[in-house]
Amino acid sequence: MRRVTNRLRPLILSGLLLALPLTDADAKNIKPDPNGLPPQDVKDLHYGDVLFYFFQDDYFDSITRLLAARQLERIPHTQGEAELLLGGLYLSLGEHVEAGRIFEALLNQNTSEAVRNKAWFYLGKVWYQRGYLGESERALRQVSDKIDPRISAERYMLLAQLMMRQNRYDDAITALRSWHGTPDWTAYAQFNLGVALVRRERLADAIPYLDRVGRIETRSEELLSLKDKANLALGFALLQAQRAAEAKPILQRVRLEGPYSSKALLGVGWADAGVGEFKRALVPWLTLRKRNLLDSAVQESFLTVPYAYNQLSATGQAAEYYNSAIESFDAEMKRIDDSIEQIRGGHLLDRLLDDDKKDTLTWYWQLTTLPNAPESRYLYQLLASNEFQEGLKNYRELNYMSRNLDNWREAVSAYDDMLDTRREAYNRLAPKADAVMSATDLAGLTQKRVDFESRLNEIEKSKDVAALGTPEEQRTWVRLRRVEDYLAAHPDDPDLAEMREKERLMKGVVYWRLSGSFKARLWNARRSVKELEAELKETQKRAVLVRQARAGMPTNTGVYAGRVGAIRARMDQLQQRLADVSAEQNRFLQALAIRELEGQKLRISTYQIQARYELAAIYDRASNDKPKAKP
Amino acid sequence: MNPKYRVVSIIARGALLACAWAAGAALAAPSAATAAAGSPPTATAPATPASGTTAAPDVAPADNFKTLDQEVQGLKKDVIDLNKDLFVLEEELLFPSNTQVALYVSMDVGAFFALDSVTVKIDNKEVKNYLYTAREADALLKGGVQQIYLGNLKVGKHELVAFFTGKGPAERDYKRGATINFDKGIGAKYLELKITDRVAKHQPEFSIKDWE
Repeated sequence: MRRVTNRLRPLILSGLLLALPLTDADAKNIKPDPNGLPPQDVKDLHYGDVLFYFFQDDYFDSITRLLAARQLERIPHTQGEAELLLGGLYLSLGEHVEAGRIFEALLNQNTSEAVRNKAWFYLGKVWYQRGYLGESERALRQVSDKIDPRISAERYMLLAQLMMRQNRYDDAITALRSWHGTPDWTAYAQFNLGVALVRRERLADAIPYLDRVGRIETRSEELLSLKDKANLALGFALLQAQRAAEAKPILQRVRLEGPYSSKALLGVGWADAGVGEFKRALVPWLTLRKRNLLDSAVQESFLTVPYAYNQLSATGQAAEYYNSAIESFDAEMKRIDDSIEQIRGGHLLDRLLDDDKKDTLTWYWQLTTLPNAPESRYLYQLLASNEFQEGLKNYRELNYMSRNLDNWREAVSAYDDMLDTRREAYNRLAPKADAVMSATDLAGLTQKRVDFESRLNEIEKSKDVAALGTPEEQRTWVRLRRVEDYLAAHPDDPDLAEMREKERLMKGVVYWRLSGSFKARLWNARRSVKELEAELKETQKRAVLVRQARAGMPTNTGVYAGRVGAIRARMDQLQQRLADVSAEQNRFLQALAIRELEGQKLRISTYQIQARYELAAIYDRASNDKPKAKP
Repeated sequence: MNPKYRVVSIIARGALLACAWAAGAALAAPSAATAAAGSPPTATAPATPASGTTAAPDVAPADNFKTLDQEVQGLKKDVIDLNKDLFVLEEELLFPSNTQVALYVSMDVGAFFALDSVTVKIDNKEVKNYLYTAREADALLKGGVQQIYLGNLKVGKHELVAFFTGKGPAERDYKRGATINFDKGIGAKYLELKITDRVAKHQPEFSIKDWE
C-alpha cells in the first residue's frame, strides 16, 4: 500500500466546537479538570447527552440527538449554545451550506468575538477547500484580527491563496507584501509571493523571495519540501527567461531523494544544454531515465537523452535511445489503456474505500492509503487533489448514509410487528378490562367511605366508647345492657339487689376500659379512613388511566402506524436518491480519473510521435550521408 | 524547418510547461492549512494533439463538482432530518413518556476517580452494567452526559441503586454505591447519577439527582 502525501492534516474542528458550548457556561467549580476544561454544571441533561457523542467525534449521533432534543423542547437552558454547536456539527459533517445559514443567523453582535471569529474562519476554510471561493473570501473577511496568531496567519494565507486560485495575482501580491504572520508561516507567505510575482512576469522581484525560501536552514520535512519547491520554481523560471547558467546552481539545491528531484534533474540537464554543455546534460538526464516512467520528467528524459546524443553527433546511440523510448511509450500507453478500462468497470471508488473505517463521518476525513491496483500509480497526483478528495468524501458519506438507512429499515420493520402485537393484545385485553371496570362500583365505595367517616364523627360527638370496642367487648357491653334493662324492669325485686350491684360494678369496669382506649381507637379508625381515601383516589386515577388507554389505544396505534408508514416512504425515497446521487458521484470521479489518464496518455503519445519523428530524421540523414554508389 | 530545432522547441515548451507546473503547484501552506491549490497542469503536450489519441467521452465539466456537491448537501440534510424523526419516533413508540425512565451519568472534574463501570439496579433488578472505554470516560470528563439507560417503569414508588467502580485516589480500586427512592409519576422520569469531587476530603462523591 502507498500512502498519499498528507497535504492536509486533520483540522481540529473541535477547537471551534469546544469553544462554542463552553463559552457562556457558568463554571461552578473552581478546580480545573485534567484537560484544562472548566467544569460546568449540567443545565440540560439532553444537551449533555449530545456533548457525550460530540466529544467522542461521533458527529452524526450527536447531531441526530441535538435535533431531536430541540424538537422535543428538552434544551430550554442551552438553546444558544446548542444552536452554535448545531452549526459546528453541520460543518463537521461537510454540510457547509446549512452551517453557513446557521452561523449567518447567529453570529451577530451578541455572540462573543472569539466564537464569531472561529466560526467564520472554519466556515471559510471549508468553503475554500470545496472550491466555493467567493463564499470563502466573504467568510474569511468577517474574521477580525483579534484571534489566535496562528489562525490569523492561516486566514491571511487562505485569502492570498484563493486570490491566486482566481488568478488575482496583483491582489495576492498586495496581501502577501503586507504579511505579518508568525515565523513558521513566513516561508510559505514568501514562497506564494514569489510565485505570484512569477505569474505576473516579475521575475526580478520574485527572485529574492524564492531564493530566501530556497536557502532556509531547517530539519523540518515540511519546510525541506517547501525549500525544494522554491528552488524548483525559481530554477525553471530562470530557464524560461533564458538564464540557464543562473538556473543550474538553484536547481542543484533540490534534494536528490525528495519528491521534486526528477523535475530538478530534468532542469539541471536543460541548464547544461542551455549553455551548450550536452555531455554534462547527459549526466542528470541518464540518471533520470532510470527512474519510473510514470513521472512526466522521466518521460521527457526519454527524449532529452537521445536529443543530447544527437547534439553530440552520436547518432547511433541517439537512434538506440529513440527506439527504446518508442517501445517504453508503447508499453506505458497500453498500461494506461488497461487502467482506463478498469476504471470504466466502475469499481475504482469501492476499491479506494476498501480499507476505510466506515463507521465515522468527519469533515476532515481523507483517503490515506491507495489500493495496490495498477491504476493507483497513475492517479497518485489526482487522488491527492482537493477536487477528487472532496468528491470521494461525498461518495463515502452517501454510502455511510445508505447503510444508516438500511439499519433503520430493520428497526422500522420491528415497529410494525410491535404495533400489530399491541393491536392484538388490545383486542384481547379490552373485554377483560371492560368487565373489571363494569364490576367495580367506585361511586358506591366512595359513598361507603363518606358514611363511615360520618359515623366516626357521630361516635366522637356522642362519645359512644363502646362503638369502637373489640367485638368481644361489644358483645359483653350488649349483654350488660340487656342485664341492665332486665334489672330496670324489676326495680323492687329484693332478690336482684346483689345482681344489680354486680352489674353496676362490671359495667363500670368495662366502661373504664373502653373509655381508656377510646381516643387511640378513634385515631386508628380515622387513620384507616384516610388510608381508604388515598387508596380510593389512586383507584380512581388508575380507572381514569385505564379508560383513557382504552379509548386512546386504537387512535395511538393508528397514529403510530401512520407515522411508521410515512417514514418508511421517506426512507424508500431517500434510499433511491442516495443510490442515484452516489452513482452520479461515482461517474463524476470516474470521469476525473479517466480525464487524468487520458491526459497522461496524450502526453506520452505526443512524446512518442516526437521520438518516431526524430528517429526517422536520423535514418534520413544517415541514408543521405551515405556515399552514393558510383555509376 | 530543421528537425533538430523542432524537437528542441517542443522539448523547451515542455520545460516551460514544467515551469508552469512548478509555479502552479506552488500555492503552499503548512500542512495544518488547506491543501495546495487545485490540480496542477501537467507538463503536457505541445499544441498539436497526437493522432490516435482518443478524446475522453467521460470528461467531467469543471462546474459539475459544485452542482453535485450541492445536490449531496441537500440529500445529506434530508437524511439527517430523517434520522432525527426516526429517533423521536423510536423513543415515543418504545418509551412513551407516561412510563419512560431515563438514567444519565455525569462526571464533574473527576480528579479523584477514574470511572471503569457502572451497574444500575431498579427495584433490586439489574437493568444495566456498563463498562466504559477510555474515550467514553474522557467524553464524560469534558462535560458530556451519558444516557446509560432508557426504559419503562410503572407509575409508583421505586428504588434505584447504582454502583460505581474505578480507580480512586492513589490509583486504588474503588467501588461505591448510591441509592435513591423515587416516585414515578405520569410524565417521563429523569435521574442523574453524578460523580463529583469532594475537594476538602480528596475523595470522589457519588449521588443521584432526581430531575423533576
